[in-house]
Amino acid sequence: MGRIIVITSGKGGVGKTTCSANLGMALAKLNHSVALIDADFGLRNLDLLLGLENRVVYTALEVLAGQCRLEQALVKDKRLNDLVLLPAAQNRNKDAVTPEQMKQLAYALTKKYDYVLIDCPAGIEMGFQNAIAAADEALIVTTPEISAVRDADRVVGLLEAHHVKTINLIVNRIRPAMVQANDMMSVHDVQEILAIPLIGIIPDDEQVIVATNRGEPLVLSDNFSLSGVALQNIAQRIEGKDIDFLDLDAPYDTIFSRLRRFFKK
Amino acid sequence: MDPEQLRSTLTSTTSPADEQESPRVAEMQIHLKAEDGKLFLYLPTPSQTALEWPDLLQELKQQLEAGQRFWPPNTHVDLVTGDRLLDHRQLQLIVNLLSTVKLHLTRIHTQRRQTAVAAATSGYSIEQQSQILPMAQSTIAQFTLDAENKEVAPLYLQTTLRSGAEIRHPGTVVVMGDLNPGSSVVADGDILVWGRLRGITHAGASGNQQSQIMALQMEPTQLRIADWVARAPEAAPDQFYPEVAYIAADGIQIARASDLSKSLSQP
Repeated sequence: MGRIIVITSGKGGVGKTTCSANLGMALAKLNHSVALIDADFGLRNLDLLLGLENRVVYTALEVLAGQCRLEQALVKDKRLNDLVLLPAAQNRNKDAVTPEQMKQLAYALTKKYDYVLIDCPAGIEMGFQNAIAAADEALIVTTPEISAVRDADRVVGLLEAHHVKTINLIVNRIRPAMVQANDMMSVHDVQEILAIPLIGIIPDDEQVIVATNRGEPLVLSDNFSLSGVALQNIAQRIEGKDIDFLDLDAPYDTIFSRLRRFFKK
Repeated sequence: MDPEQLRSTLTSTTSPADEQESPRVAEMQIHLKAEDGKLFLYLPTPSQTALEWPDLLQELKQQLEAGQRFWPPNTHVDLVTGDRLLDHRQLQLIVNLLSTVKLHLTRIHTQRRQTAVAAATSGYSIEQQSQILPMAQSTIAQFTLDAENKEVAPLYLQTTLRSGAEIRHPGTVVVMGDLNPGSSVVADGDILVWGRLRGITHAGASGNQQSQIMALQMEPTQLRIADWVARAPEAAPDQFYPEVAYIAADGIQIARASDLSKSLSQP
Protein backbone atom coordinates (compact mmCIF):
# COMPACT_ATOMS: atom_id res chain seq x y z
CA MET A 1 0.00 0.00 0.00
CA GLY A 2 1.32 3.39 -0.95
CA ARG A 3 1.46 6.45 1.28
CA ILE A 4 -1.04 9.24 0.69
CA ILE A 5 0.48 12.65 1.38
CA VAL A 6 -1.41 15.92 0.95
CA ILE A 7 0.52 19.13 0.28
CA THR A 8 -1.38 22.06 1.71
CA SER A 9 -0.93 25.55 3.14
CA GLY A 10 -4.15 27.47 3.61
CA LYS A 11 -2.76 30.59 1.96
CA GLY A 12 -2.39 30.78 -1.79
CA GLY A 13 0.82 31.40 -3.68
CA VAL A 14 3.23 29.97 -1.12
CA GLY A 15 4.42 27.15 -3.37
CA LYS A 16 2.15 24.16 -2.84
CA THR A 17 1.99 23.22 -6.49
CA THR A 18 5.70 23.86 -7.04
CA CYS A 19 6.52 21.62 -4.08
CA SER A 20 4.09 18.95 -5.28
CA ALA A 21 5.59 18.86 -8.76
CA ASN A 22 9.18 18.81 -7.51
CA LEU A 23 8.67 16.32 -4.69
CA GLY A 24 6.78 14.03 -7.07
CA MET A 25 9.66 14.21 -9.53
CA ALA A 26 12.30 13.79 -6.83
CA LEU A 27 10.59 10.72 -5.36
CA ALA A 28 10.21 9.23 -8.83
CA LYS A 29 13.93 9.85 -9.40
CA LEU A 30 14.62 7.89 -6.21
CA ASN A 31 12.97 4.93 -7.96
CA HIS A 32 9.60 5.11 -6.29
CA SER A 33 6.40 5.00 -8.29
CA VAL A 34 4.50 8.23 -7.75
CA ALA A 35 0.99 9.41 -8.59
CA LEU A 36 0.29 13.13 -8.34
CA ILE A 37 -3.33 14.15 -7.89
CA ASP A 38 -4.30 17.70 -8.77
CA ALA A 39 -7.15 18.50 -6.37
CA ASP A 40 -7.46 22.10 -7.54
CA PHE A 41 -10.62 21.68 -9.62
CA GLY A 42 -11.40 24.72 -11.73
CA LEU A 43 -7.94 26.24 -11.32
CA ARG A 44 -5.62 23.43 -12.18
CA ASN A 45 -1.91 24.21 -12.55
CA LEU A 46 0.01 21.06 -11.78
CA ASP A 47 -0.12 19.90 -15.41
CA LEU A 48 1.51 23.18 -16.47
CA LEU A 49 4.36 22.91 -13.97
CA LEU A 50 5.07 19.39 -15.14
CA GLY A 51 4.88 20.43 -18.80
CA LEU A 52 2.09 17.93 -19.41
CA GLU A 53 -0.76 20.28 -20.27
CA ASN A 54 -1.16 19.14 -23.85
CA ARG A 55 -1.31 15.46 -22.89
CA VAL A 56 -4.37 15.74 -20.71
CA VAL A 57 -7.29 13.94 -22.33
CA TYR A 58 -9.45 12.84 -19.42
CA THR A 59 -9.64 14.25 -15.93
CA ALA A 60 -10.56 12.92 -12.49
CA LEU A 61 -14.12 14.01 -13.15
CA GLU A 62 -14.56 11.68 -16.13
CA VAL A 63 -13.14 8.83 -14.07
CA LEU A 64 -15.68 9.48 -11.34
CA ALA A 65 -18.50 9.77 -13.87
CA GLY A 66 -17.50 6.38 -15.26
CA GLN A 67 -16.74 7.83 -18.68
CA CYS A 68 -13.23 6.40 -18.67
CA ARG A 69 -11.05 4.07 -16.65
CA LEU A 70 -8.66 5.47 -14.06
CA GLU A 71 -5.64 4.27 -16.08
CA GLN A 72 -6.86 6.19 -19.12
CA ALA A 73 -6.95 9.46 -17.21
CA LEU A 74 -3.45 9.11 -15.76
CA VAL A 75 -0.96 11.19 -17.74
CA LYS A 76 2.47 9.56 -17.83
CA ASP A 77 5.36 11.90 -17.37
CA LYS A 78 7.40 12.39 -20.52
CA ARG A 79 10.73 12.12 -18.66
CA LEU A 80 10.25 9.68 -15.79
CA ASN A 81 8.41 6.41 -16.25
CA ASP A 82 7.47 6.12 -12.61
CA LEU A 83 5.50 9.36 -12.42
CA VAL A 84 1.87 9.86 -13.38
CA LEU A 85 -0.53 12.78 -12.99
CA LEU A 86 -4.25 12.58 -12.40
CA PRO A 87 -5.43 15.96 -13.70
CA ALA A 88 -8.30 17.97 -12.30
CA ALA A 89 -11.11 19.32 -14.46
CA GLN A 90 -10.72 22.93 -15.50
CA ASN A 91 -14.34 23.65 -16.40
CA ARG A 92 -15.85 22.85 -13.02
CA ASN A 93 -15.52 24.10 -9.49
CA LYS A 94 -14.57 22.48 -6.23
CA ASP A 95 -18.09 21.22 -5.55
CA ALA A 96 -17.91 18.88 -8.55
CA VAL A 97 -16.37 16.15 -6.38
CA THR A 98 -17.00 14.91 -2.86
CA PRO A 99 -14.47 13.88 -0.19
CA GLU A 100 -15.78 10.33 -0.54
CA GLN A 101 -14.97 10.30 -4.27
CA MET A 102 -11.47 11.66 -3.67
CA LYS A 103 -10.91 8.85 -1.18
CA GLN A 104 -11.96 6.32 -3.83
CA LEU A 105 -9.46 7.73 -6.33
CA ALA A 106 -6.59 8.00 -3.89
CA TYR A 107 -7.13 4.51 -2.46
CA ALA A 108 -7.30 3.04 -5.96
CA LEU A 109 -3.95 4.67 -6.73
CA THR A 110 -2.24 3.42 -3.55
CA LYS A 111 -2.61 -0.12 -4.89
CA LYS A 112 -0.19 0.60 -7.73
CA TYR A 113 1.92 3.51 -6.54
CA ASP A 114 4.35 3.89 -3.63
CA TYR A 115 3.44 7.53 -3.13
CA VAL A 116 0.20 9.36 -3.85
CA LEU A 117 0.79 13.10 -3.53
CA ILE A 118 -2.28 15.34 -3.47
CA ASP A 119 -1.84 18.98 -4.46
CA CYS A 120 -4.38 20.85 -2.33
CA PRO A 121 -6.04 24.09 -3.48
CA ALA A 122 -5.70 27.26 -1.41
CA GLY A 123 -8.40 27.93 1.15
CA ILE A 124 -10.17 25.71 3.65
CA GLU A 125 -13.44 25.17 1.81
CA MET A 126 -14.72 22.22 -0.19
CA GLY A 127 -11.55 21.83 -2.26
CA PHE A 128 -9.45 21.55 0.89
CA GLN A 129 -11.89 19.09 2.45
CA ASN A 130 -11.68 16.96 -0.70
CA ALA A 131 -7.90 17.06 -0.82
CA ILE A 132 -7.32 16.00 2.77
CA ALA A 133 -10.09 13.38 2.92
CA ALA A 134 -7.87 10.49 1.90
CA ALA A 135 -4.55 11.64 3.32
CA ASP A 136 -2.74 10.01 6.22
CA GLU A 137 0.13 12.47 6.09
CA ALA A 138 0.40 16.15 5.33
CA LEU A 139 3.14 18.53 4.28
CA ILE A 140 2.42 22.11 5.28
CA VAL A 141 4.07 24.66 3.00
CA THR A 142 4.48 28.15 4.38
CA THR A 143 6.56 31.21 3.66
CA PRO A 144 8.13 33.21 6.49
CA GLU A 145 5.35 35.80 6.57
CA ILE A 146 2.87 36.25 9.38
CA SER A 147 -0.14 35.86 7.08
CA ALA A 148 1.08 32.57 5.62
CA VAL A 149 2.04 31.28 9.05
CA ARG A 150 -1.33 32.25 10.52
CA ASP A 151 -3.14 30.37 7.74
CA ALA A 152 -0.82 27.40 8.11
CA ASP A 153 -1.60 27.31 11.82
CA ARG A 154 -5.32 27.16 11.09
CA VAL A 155 -4.76 24.37 8.58
CA VAL A 156 -2.68 22.37 11.07
CA GLY A 157 -5.62 22.62 13.47
CA LEU A 158 -8.06 21.42 10.81
CA LEU A 159 -5.78 18.55 9.83
CA GLU A 160 -5.51 17.43 13.42
CA ALA A 161 -9.29 17.54 13.69
CA HIS A 162 -9.45 15.29 10.62
CA HIS A 163 -7.07 12.80 12.24
CA VAL A 164 -4.19 13.38 9.88
CA LYS A 165 -1.49 12.15 12.22
CA THR A 166 1.80 12.98 10.55
CA ILE A 167 2.17 16.65 9.74
CA ASN A 168 5.50 18.07 8.59
CA LEU A 169 6.54 21.61 7.81
CA ILE A 170 8.24 23.03 4.72
CA VAL A 171 9.38 26.63 5.02
CA ASN A 172 9.56 27.98 1.51
CA ARG A 173 11.13 31.07 0.02
CA ILE A 174 13.40 31.95 2.87
CA ARG A 175 15.93 34.73 2.24
CA PRO A 176 18.85 34.13 4.57
CA ALA A 177 20.25 37.65 4.14
CA MET A 178 16.96 39.18 5.23
CA VAL A 179 16.71 36.80 8.16
CA GLN A 180 20.24 37.80 9.20
CA ALA A 181 19.27 41.45 9.05
CA ASN A 182 16.22 40.67 11.15
CA ASP A 183 13.89 41.74 8.35
CA MET A 184 12.32 38.34 7.88
CA MET A 185 10.96 35.69 10.21
CA SER A 186 13.46 32.92 10.69
CA VAL A 187 12.65 29.24 10.36
CA HIS A 188 12.95 29.09 14.10
CA ASP A 189 10.28 31.79 14.52
CA VAL A 190 7.93 29.91 12.20
CA GLN A 191 8.50 26.65 14.01
CA GLU A 192 7.92 28.27 17.36
CA ILE A 193 4.38 29.21 16.29
CA LEU A 194 3.44 26.06 14.40
CA ALA A 195 5.22 23.55 16.63
CA ILE A 196 5.31 20.76 14.05
CA PRO A 197 8.39 18.87 12.85
CA LEU A 198 10.41 20.58 10.14
CA ILE A 199 11.09 18.54 7.02
CA GLY A 200 12.63 21.13 4.76
CA ILE A 201 13.79 24.69 4.18
CA ILE A 202 13.75 26.00 0.62
CA PRO A 203 15.55 29.25 -0.19
CA ASP A 204 13.97 31.89 -2.39
CA ASP A 205 15.30 31.26 -5.88
CA GLU A 206 14.72 32.84 -9.28
CA GLN A 207 15.36 29.46 -10.89
CA VAL A 208 11.99 28.32 -9.57
CA ILE A 209 10.24 30.87 -11.76
CA VAL A 210 12.25 29.81 -14.80
CA ALA A 211 11.48 26.15 -14.13
CA THR A 212 7.78 26.85 -13.64
CA ASN A 213 7.43 28.70 -16.91
CA ARG A 214 9.30 25.99 -18.81
CA GLY A 215 7.30 23.15 -17.31
CA GLU A 216 10.58 21.53 -16.21
CA PRO A 217 10.66 20.95 -12.45
CA LEU A 218 13.87 22.12 -10.78
CA VAL A 219 14.91 18.74 -9.45
CA LEU A 220 15.31 17.53 -13.04
CA SER A 221 17.58 20.35 -14.05
CA ASP A 222 21.28 19.65 -14.53
CA ASN A 223 22.20 23.07 -13.23
CA PHE A 224 22.93 23.11 -9.55
CA SER A 225 20.48 25.18 -7.57
CA LEU A 226 20.18 25.42 -3.83
CA SER A 227 16.39 25.19 -3.97
CA GLY A 228 16.61 22.08 -6.16
CA VAL A 229 18.92 20.41 -3.66
CA ALA A 230 16.65 21.43 -0.78
CA LEU A 231 13.68 19.79 -2.54
CA GLN A 232 15.65 16.63 -3.24
CA ASN A 233 16.62 16.48 0.43
CA ILE A 234 12.97 16.76 1.43
CA ALA A 235 12.15 13.82 -0.83
CA GLN A 236 14.84 11.76 0.90
CA ARG A 237 13.51 12.75 4.31
CA ILE A 238 10.03 11.63 3.21
CA GLU A 239 11.65 8.28 2.43
CA GLY A 240 12.76 8.21 6.02
CA LYS A 241 16.44 9.05 5.54
CA ASP A 242 18.18 11.31 8.01
CA ILE A 243 19.60 14.12 5.90
CA ASP A 244 21.20 17.24 7.38
CA PHE A 245 19.60 20.56 6.61
CA LEU A 246 21.41 22.86 4.20
CA ASP A 247 23.33 25.66 5.85
CA LEU A 248 21.71 28.54 4.01
CA ASP A 249 23.18 31.11 6.36
CA ALA A 250 26.79 30.31 5.61
CA PRO A 251 27.44 32.92 2.89
CA TYR A 252 25.80 35.63 4.96
CA ASP A 253 27.19 34.83 8.37
CA THR A 254 30.07 37.29 8.21
CA ILE A 255 31.88 38.82 11.12
CA PHE A 256 29.93 42.06 10.54
CA SER A 257 26.52 40.47 10.72
CA ARG A 258 27.58 38.65 13.87
CA LEU A 259 28.71 41.90 15.43
CA ARG A 260 25.51 43.62 14.35
CA ARG A 261 23.43 40.88 15.92
CA PHE A 262 25.55 41.00 19.03
CA PHE A 263 24.95 44.72 19.52
CA LYS A 264 21.27 44.51 18.65
CA LYS A 265 20.66 42.05 21.45
CA MET B 1 1.64 14.39 -49.38
CA ASP B 2 4.21 17.07 -50.00
CA PRO B 3 5.87 17.94 -46.68
CA GLU B 4 6.34 21.49 -47.90
CA GLN B 5 2.64 22.00 -47.76
CA LEU B 6 2.33 20.97 -44.17
CA ARG B 7 3.63 22.95 -41.30
CA SER B 8 3.95 19.74 -39.42
CA THR B 9 2.34 16.47 -38.83
CA LEU B 10 1.12 16.62 -35.30
CA THR B 11 3.02 14.49 -32.86
CA SER B 12 1.75 11.39 -31.13
CA THR B 13 -1.59 10.95 -32.70
CA THR B 14 -3.64 8.43 -30.82
CA SER B 15 -5.42 5.98 -33.00
CA PRO B 16 -8.97 4.95 -32.20
CA ALA B 17 -7.67 1.53 -31.20
CA ASP B 18 -5.71 2.99 -28.29
CA GLU B 19 -8.73 4.79 -27.09
CA GLN B 20 -11.86 2.81 -26.82
CA GLU B 21 -14.15 5.63 -25.87
CA SER B 22 -14.07 9.01 -27.49
CA PRO B 23 -13.27 11.87 -25.11
CA ARG B 24 -16.78 13.15 -25.55
CA VAL B 25 -18.89 13.63 -22.48
CA ALA B 26 -22.54 13.03 -23.17
CA GLU B 27 -23.81 16.17 -21.62
CA MET B 28 -26.09 18.89 -22.84
CA GLN B 29 -25.51 22.55 -22.46
CA ILE B 30 -27.74 25.53 -22.61
CA HIS B 31 -28.67 25.94 -26.23
CA LEU B 32 -30.01 28.94 -28.11
CA LYS B 33 -31.60 28.45 -31.50
CA ALA B 34 -33.20 31.00 -33.78
CA GLU B 35 -36.29 29.82 -35.63
CA ASP B 36 -39.11 31.65 -37.43
CA GLY B 37 -38.00 35.00 -36.07
CA LYS B 38 -38.09 33.66 -32.55
CA LEU B 39 -35.34 32.46 -30.30
CA PHE B 40 -35.65 29.15 -28.48
CA LEU B 41 -33.72 28.83 -25.25
CA TYR B 42 -33.25 25.22 -24.18
CA LEU B 43 -32.38 24.64 -20.56
CA PRO B 44 -30.99 21.15 -20.05
CA THR B 45 -32.96 19.09 -17.55
CA PRO B 46 -31.22 17.88 -14.37
CA SER B 47 -30.80 14.45 -15.95
CA GLN B 48 -29.05 15.96 -18.97
CA THR B 49 -26.45 18.01 -17.16
CA ALA B 50 -24.34 17.87 -14.02
CA LEU B 51 -24.29 21.66 -13.83
CA GLU B 52 -25.97 23.23 -10.85
CA TRP B 53 -28.26 26.21 -11.13
CA PRO B 54 -25.62 28.92 -10.49
CA ASP B 55 -23.35 27.38 -13.12
CA LEU B 56 -26.23 27.17 -15.58
CA LEU B 57 -26.99 30.85 -15.07
CA GLN B 58 -23.32 31.68 -15.54
CA GLU B 59 -23.29 29.73 -18.77
CA LEU B 60 -26.47 31.37 -19.99
CA LYS B 61 -24.92 34.74 -19.30
CA GLN B 62 -21.81 33.84 -21.28
CA GLN B 63 -23.77 32.50 -24.23
CA LEU B 64 -26.06 35.52 -24.32
CA GLU B 65 -23.13 37.91 -24.30
CA ALA B 66 -21.22 35.95 -26.91
CA GLY B 67 -24.21 35.63 -29.23
CA GLN B 68 -26.01 38.91 -28.79
CA ARG B 69 -24.80 40.37 -32.04
CA PHE B 70 -26.52 37.61 -33.98
CA TRP B 71 -30.09 38.28 -32.92
CA PRO B 72 -32.03 41.45 -33.67
CA PRO B 73 -32.95 43.41 -30.55
CA ASN B 74 -36.38 42.82 -29.01
CA THR B 75 -36.52 39.25 -30.27
CA HIS B 76 -39.08 37.12 -28.48
CA VAL B 77 -37.76 34.15 -26.59
CA ASP B 78 -39.40 30.79 -25.97
CA LEU B 79 -37.96 29.07 -22.94
CA VAL B 80 -37.94 25.25 -23.15
CA THR B 81 -37.41 23.70 -19.74
CA GLY B 82 -38.58 20.09 -20.11
CA ASP B 83 -39.03 18.57 -16.67
CA ARG B 84 -36.76 21.09 -14.93
CA LEU B 85 -38.44 22.73 -12.00
CA LEU B 86 -38.24 26.54 -12.01
CA ASP B 87 -39.61 28.78 -9.32
CA HIS B 88 -40.70 32.36 -9.61
CA ARG B 89 -37.33 33.71 -8.50
CA GLN B 90 -35.36 31.59 -10.98
CA LEU B 91 -37.63 32.68 -13.82
CA GLN B 92 -37.06 36.29 -12.87
CA LEU B 93 -33.28 35.75 -12.98
CA ILE B 94 -33.56 34.36 -16.51
CA VAL B 95 -35.78 37.28 -17.57
CA ASN B 96 -33.27 39.74 -16.15
CA LEU B 97 -30.39 38.11 -18.01
CA LEU B 98 -32.38 38.10 -21.25
CA SER B 99 -33.27 41.77 -20.88
CA THR B 100 -29.61 42.77 -20.53
CA VAL B 101 -29.18 41.70 -24.17
CA LYS B 102 -32.59 43.12 -25.20
CA LEU B 103 -34.41 39.82 -25.47
CA HIS B 104 -37.94 39.31 -24.18
CA LEU B 105 -39.27 36.14 -22.69
CA THR B 106 -42.78 35.46 -23.98
CA ARG B 107 -43.54 31.79 -23.70
CA ILE B 108 -42.47 28.91 -21.51
CA HIS B 109 -42.58 25.25 -22.50
CA THR B 110 -42.63 22.98 -19.49
CA GLN B 111 -43.65 19.55 -18.32
CA ARG B 112 -43.89 20.57 -14.68
CA ARG B 113 -47.10 21.95 -13.25
CA GLN B 114 -45.30 24.04 -10.60
CA THR B 115 -43.15 25.71 -13.25
CA ALA B 116 -46.25 26.41 -15.31
CA VAL B 117 -47.95 27.99 -12.30
CA ALA B 118 -44.91 30.13 -11.51
CA ALA B 119 -44.72 31.25 -15.13
CA ALA B 120 -48.45 31.99 -15.32
CA THR B 121 -48.43 34.13 -12.18
CA SER B 122 -45.55 36.10 -13.69
CA GLY B 123 -47.64 36.66 -16.82
CA TYR B 124 -45.97 34.48 -19.42
CA SER B 125 -47.83 32.27 -21.82
CA ILE B 126 -47.37 28.60 -21.23
CA GLU B 127 -47.04 25.54 -23.36
CA GLN B 128 -47.47 22.67 -20.96
CA GLN B 129 -46.48 19.28 -22.27
CA SER B 130 -47.64 16.32 -20.28
CA GLN B 131 -44.98 13.85 -19.31
CA ILE B 132 -46.99 11.02 -20.87
CA LEU B 133 -46.49 12.58 -24.28
CA PRO B 134 -44.31 10.41 -26.50
CA MET B 135 -40.77 11.78 -26.39
CA ALA B 136 -40.66 12.34 -30.14
CA GLN B 137 -43.32 15.01 -29.91
CA SER B 138 -41.74 17.05 -27.18
CA THR B 139 -39.67 20.01 -28.21
CA ILE B 140 -36.55 18.74 -26.49
CA ALA B 141 -36.75 15.48 -28.36
CA GLN B 142 -37.25 17.38 -31.60
CA PHE B 143 -34.09 19.25 -30.84
CA THR B 144 -32.19 16.03 -30.25
CA LEU B 145 -33.55 14.58 -33.49
CA ASP B 146 -32.27 17.61 -35.32
CA ALA B 147 -28.84 16.87 -33.95
CA GLU B 148 -28.90 13.42 -35.48
CA ASN B 149 -29.95 14.77 -38.83
CA LYS B 150 -27.09 17.28 -38.78
CA GLU B 151 -29.55 20.05 -39.39
CA VAL B 152 -28.51 22.02 -36.37
CA ALA B 153 -27.74 25.63 -37.14
CA PRO B 154 -24.14 26.68 -36.56
CA LEU B 155 -23.43 28.34 -33.25
CA TYR B 156 -21.90 31.77 -33.68
CA LEU B 157 -19.97 33.24 -30.78
CA GLN B 158 -18.20 36.54 -30.63
CA THR B 159 -16.08 36.34 -27.51
CA THR B 160 -12.78 35.31 -26.06
CA LEU B 161 -13.08 31.88 -24.51
CA ARG B 162 -10.98 31.90 -21.37
CA SER B 163 -9.58 29.08 -19.28
CA GLY B 164 -12.35 26.87 -17.96
CA ALA B 165 -14.95 27.92 -20.54
CA GLU B 166 -16.43 25.01 -22.43
CA ILE B 167 -18.77 25.18 -25.39
CA ARG B 168 -20.66 22.11 -26.58
CA HIS B 169 -22.83 22.20 -29.64
CA PRO B 170 -24.44 19.48 -31.75
CA GLY B 171 -23.47 21.29 -34.97
CA THR B 172 -20.74 23.55 -36.28
CA VAL B 173 -19.23 26.20 -34.03
CA VAL B 174 -17.86 29.52 -35.27
CA VAL B 175 -15.88 31.58 -32.77
CA MET B 176 -14.94 35.14 -33.58
CA GLY B 177 -12.25 35.64 -31.00
CA ASP B 178 -9.53 33.66 -29.32
CA LEU B 179 -9.60 30.33 -27.54
CA ASN B 180 -7.24 30.71 -24.60
CA PRO B 181 -5.36 27.74 -23.13
CA GLY B 182 -7.66 25.82 -20.80
CA SER B 183 -10.81 26.51 -22.80
CA SER B 184 -12.49 23.92 -24.95
CA VAL B 185 -14.99 23.67 -27.78
CA VAL B 186 -16.68 20.35 -28.49
CA ALA B 187 -18.78 20.26 -31.65
CA ASP B 188 -20.44 17.54 -33.68
CA GLY B 189 -19.62 19.49 -36.83
CA ASP B 190 -16.66 21.68 -37.80
CA ILE B 191 -14.97 24.30 -35.64
CA LEU B 192 -13.92 27.62 -37.12
CA VAL B 193 -11.87 30.01 -35.04
CA TRP B 194 -11.46 33.50 -36.42
CA GLY B 195 -8.63 34.24 -34.05
CA ARG B 196 -6.01 32.34 -32.10
CA LEU B 197 -6.73 28.74 -31.22
CA ARG B 198 -4.77 27.90 -28.10
CA GLY B 199 -7.22 25.74 -26.19
CA ILE B 200 -8.66 22.30 -26.87
CA THR B 201 -11.03 21.72 -29.79
CA HIS B 202 -12.92 18.57 -30.58
CA ALA B 203 -14.66 18.52 -33.95
CA GLY B 204 -16.90 15.70 -35.12
CA ALA B 205 -17.37 14.70 -31.50
CA SER B 206 -20.12 12.23 -32.38
CA GLY B 207 -17.79 10.45 -34.75
CA ASN B 208 -17.81 12.37 -38.03
CA GLN B 209 -14.31 11.84 -39.47
CA GLN B 210 -14.87 14.46 -42.16
CA SER B 211 -15.00 17.26 -39.62
CA GLN B 212 -12.35 19.93 -39.73
CA ILE B 213 -10.89 22.49 -37.40
CA MET B 214 -9.70 25.77 -38.85
CA ALA B 215 -8.09 28.76 -37.23
CA LEU B 216 -6.32 31.94 -38.22
CA GLN B 217 -3.56 31.06 -35.79
CA MET B 218 -3.25 27.41 -34.87
CA GLU B 219 -1.44 26.87 -31.56
CA PRO B 220 -3.69 24.32 -29.91
CA THR B 221 -3.10 22.53 -26.63
CA GLN B 222 -4.78 19.56 -28.25
CA LEU B 223 -6.79 18.87 -31.37
CA ARG B 224 -9.39 16.15 -31.43
CA ILE B 225 -11.38 15.05 -34.44
CA ALA B 226 -13.84 12.19 -34.03
CA ASP B 227 -11.84 9.51 -32.13
CA TRP B 228 -8.41 10.97 -32.85
CA VAL B 229 -6.30 13.04 -30.52
CA ALA B 230 -3.20 15.04 -31.41
CA ARG B 231 -0.83 17.33 -29.60
CA ALA B 232 0.89 20.32 -31.14
CA PRO B 233 4.66 20.05 -31.61
CA GLU B 234 6.68 21.28 -28.63
CA ALA B 235 8.29 24.16 -30.51
CA ALA B 236 5.91 26.79 -31.84
CA PRO B 237 6.52 27.92 -35.40
CA ASP B 238 7.90 31.41 -36.06
CA GLN B 239 5.13 32.42 -38.38
CA PHE B 240 1.46 31.65 -38.47
CA TYR B 241 -0.87 31.13 -41.39
CA PRO B 242 -4.54 30.28 -41.40
CA GLU B 243 -4.52 26.52 -41.06
CA VAL B 244 -6.91 23.60 -41.24
CA ALA B 245 -6.75 20.36 -39.29
CA TYR B 246 -8.33 17.23 -40.74
CA ILE B 247 -8.03 13.47 -40.56
CA ALA B 248 -5.63 11.99 -43.09
CA ALA B 249 -4.69 8.33 -43.52
CA ASP B 250 -2.26 8.38 -40.59
CA GLY B 251 -4.01 10.67 -38.16
CA ILE B 252 -4.69 14.32 -37.69
CA GLN B 253 -2.80 16.59 -40.07
CA ILE B 254 -2.55 20.33 -40.35
CA ALA B 255 -2.31 22.11 -43.66
CA ARG B 256 -2.14 25.74 -44.59
CA ALA B 257 -5.57 26.89 -45.60
CA SER B 258 -4.22 28.06 -48.95
CA ASP B 259 -2.73 24.63 -49.68
CA LEU B 260 -5.64 22.58 -48.42
CA SER B 261 -7.39 22.01 -51.71
CA LYS B 262 -4.13 20.82 -53.26
CA SER B 263 -3.13 18.51 -50.43
CA LEU B 264 -6.56 16.96 -50.17
CA SER B 265 -6.77 16.21 -53.87
CA GLN B 266 -3.52 14.23 -53.75
CA PRO B 267 -3.74 10.51 -52.96
